[in-house]
Amino acid sequence: MINTVAITNSKLNQYRLRVRYRKDGRLAHLGHLEVINTINRSVRRSALPFAVGNGFARRMRLQFSQALPVGAASLGEYFDLYLIEEVAPEGALERLAKSSPSLLEPVAASYVSYDLPALEAWLTRSTWSVDIIDGTSVEAITRGIRAVREHGVLTYMRGEKEKHVDLGRTLASFQEKPVGPGFLLDCRSTEEGSLRPAVLIAAAAREVGLAMPAISVCRLGQWHVDEDGSLVEPM
Amino acid sequence: MRPPRRDLFRLIEPLLSLVERPSRYLDHEWGAVEDQPGPFHACLIYPDAYEVGQPNLGIAILYNALNAAEGISCERCYLPWHDMADLMRERHVPLLALESAAPVASFDLVGFTLAHELVATNIVETLDLAGVPVRASERAQDDAIVIAGGPSVWNAEPLAPMFDAILLGDGEDAIVEMASCVRDARAAGLAREDVLLALSRIQGVYVPSLYEVVVDDTSTRWGYAVPRPGTGAPEVVLKRCVADFAATPACAEHIVPYMGIVQDRLAIEVLRGCARGCRFCQAGMTYRPVRERPMGQVVEASVQGLAETGYDELSLTSLSTTDHSQCAPMLSELDRRHSGRGIRVSIPSQRLDAFGVDMANAASGSKRGGLTFAPEAGTQRLRDVINKNVTAEDLERAATNAFAHGWRRVKLYFMMGLPTETDEDILAIPAATHRVLEIGREIVGRGKKSKVQVSASVAVFVPKAYTPFQWAGQLEVGEVERRARLLLGANTDRDVKISYHDPRTSLVEGALSKMGRAGFDLVLAAWRRGCRFDAWTSEFNYDAWEAAAEELGYDLPSIASEGFPLDVRLPWDHTSPGVSKGFLQREWRRAAQGVTAPDCTRESCVGCGVCPTLGVGNVIWGERA
Repeated sequence: MINTVAITNSKLNQYRLRVRYRKDGRLAHLGHLEVINTINRSVRRSALPFAVGNGFARRMRLQFSQALPVGAASLGEYFDLYLIEEVAPEGALERLAKSSPSLLEPVAASYVSYDLPALEAWLTRSTWSVDIIDGTSVEAITRGIRAVREHGVLTYMRGEKEKHVDLGRTLASFQEKPVGPGFLLDCRSTEEGSLRPAVLIAAAAREVGLAMPAISVCRLGQWHVDEDGSLVEPM
Repeated sequence: MRPPRRDLFRLIEPLLSLVERPSRYLDHEWGAVEDQPGPFHACLIYPDAYEVGQPNLGIAILYNALNAAEGISCERCYLPWHDMADLMRERHVPLLALESAAPVASFDLVGFTLAHELVATNIVETLDLAGVPVRASERAQDDAIVIAGGPSVWNAEPLAPMFDAILLGDGEDAIVEMASCVRDARAAGLAREDVLLALSRIQGVYVPSLYEVVVDDTSTRWGYAVPRPGTGAPEVVLKRCVADFAATPACAEHIVPYMGIVQDRLAIEVLRGCARGCRFCQAGMTYRPVRERPMGQVVEASVQGLAETGYDELSLTSLSTTDHSQCAPMLSELDRRHSGRGIRVSIPSQRLDAFGVDMANAASGSKRGGLTFAPEAGTQRLRDVINKNVTAEDLERAATNAFAHGWRRVKLYFMMGLPTETDEDILAIPAATHRVLEIGREIVGRGKKSKVQVSASVAVFVPKAYTPFQWAGQLEVGEVERRARLLLGANTDRDVKISYHDPRTSLVEGALSKMGRAGFDLVLAAWRRGCRFDAWTSEFNYDAWEAAAEELGYDLPSIASEGFPLDVRLPWDHTSPGVSKGFLQREWRRAAQGVTAPDCTRESCVGCGVCPTLGVGNVIWGERA
């Protein structure tokens, strides 16, 4: 018996297009599911020849990098779109750009190997910019971050659930921004979870007896970490 | 003094990280009309949360019509959720429209959708947040003209004090006429009172301030409205009706929201009006006549609309889509045109007598999640009283077709508290539900793996204006609860789920459906006690409504359960959808005798009066079976 599922969705007849996009301005306040739905509809509007999964719901084959927190902007988000025809990446990018909200603008596209792991599991390193926008002392927050780091594990509430993040594993480094009040964070995601910059800043502020400062968060980029520890560009 | 029109998003932005679901307040959705040059500015408000209001087809139709008109721009606004409203008050941020982020109070025209009675306190909340005087009589010369329209205008009196004008009936043409009228009157320097007089000259526009309420021996305790002498306002305002429905744009939804909304799909209105004549149904009486959109137009609009929006689901909406004379071939054609793209086609609910093998086959291209039928009553006697015109055989045939064509979950809608209802009628509801389950088991098999499930949702009947049951009293809460116990006690199968609607919510809805203009004091008092989002089960606060009623000397149960004599003058007699009172009285008497009336799109005219009164007629493109 012929396995039609294997033929329908396989590297023999599908092309994996990786797209980098930004999330900016007021759309930084979209949740991850809202971004997924919006991009799904942008792809449909672009009329690119997208592949459809074989499940009961017949969904578009579309994979995303790790969820960005609500309120965080990004200069480097990614999705992989599976196509059933090979379209020139420049053309595909142009069609996607025309069919996407400008604040979720696709900025680069290229084909990647069909055999790569899913984006979410593959891109585990990210850098973040955190701007302090209400005049709270950067020096005090720096002291707070150091103190929180010394505790090793950061415990916080997300909704009604208690969460734990191992800062030794998830916070690779941090530094004050060379220009303007704020920080640059270098983070790793692990199987146990990822560090949310706002959670770190809130804990740091608590540690030094300050209220949570008003901040603006932006993910600057994401990378794959190779076996030898070197950073690999997603595209 | 009207505030200036300017972009105040900077006041909302800092609040976004402090509230639930900030995407409610973002604007910039795909398809939104961001360019708002005016110079005349209108703002349409659905007085509920964004996710409830955004899918409203009526707002979409009017938004498109106004934005297409020369010199008129139109924006949207929804009621902020509690958390955002609290922050806005705390920080003195006024309610803003979405597209321009300009204060709602700065607009020339502000329009509300009256979707149902329970939005009453939300309208007060919206006006208060906007800084627009809640009572029309307290508005200054230059304040925005506040209007309303929608399916729930047929007893507008309890809300009338908030509106400068109310549009009855179809809005796509009339809304542009109203906006143009206000624009021209303002440009001519007319006083506010004269602007309203000019509005009252447009057919379908009811200006409450031009009418006074009279209570006498010929009326209910709520009185009736008569034109103030010298105003020239009509004694009865007849609704607007679009005669050539096919000439209206088939696809009205162009805005694609970011957040998940209650009907997150492309909706195409395939027909307007229904002539089945169900005696409890307000929409069935007030949207007449029946006007179908031709099949080709629906199919082409779906292709264009899906491509333009990127939706992956299409809903064919109307009061009764399976009644469309071209429904089965339309479903087949839609299936053919959209196959292989992961597109689903859905129909809101199915007529029992229209869901035959053809329809089941035609709909089989769609996802078979659940199927909904509305028998409304458990016994044939009561179905005849309400003129539902479906039989137990129709239910069995529809259930057989559904299960045989792959559906596993069937939902049935019933009502409780219908006129003449007895315990026997109540007990027939679980019996009918169990029979459907049995049919499912016979076809699919028994056991958990068969996944056959049947649920019954039982609503409390609320008598509504301009229905043959408008004279009926509503069942009292205690009796609803007794009948509900009877209902639930008769359910003996775990695969049958029976639920019933909160009778207290229905009680408030019933009271507001019966009251006259004096009912506004109740609305205002309830709002002052914190009532808003009353249609949300989680937010409804009956104690606050009860306290508000007590404060004013009203008793909600006695208001809702009061029946009216047939010859009395009703609070809504001065606004008419075209259905004659004589017809409604005849239908009330036929109901009492258990005599049914036919559907005029299939058999002869029933004499409802709509066609001659409004100068329109049914438009059917094929043959109705």
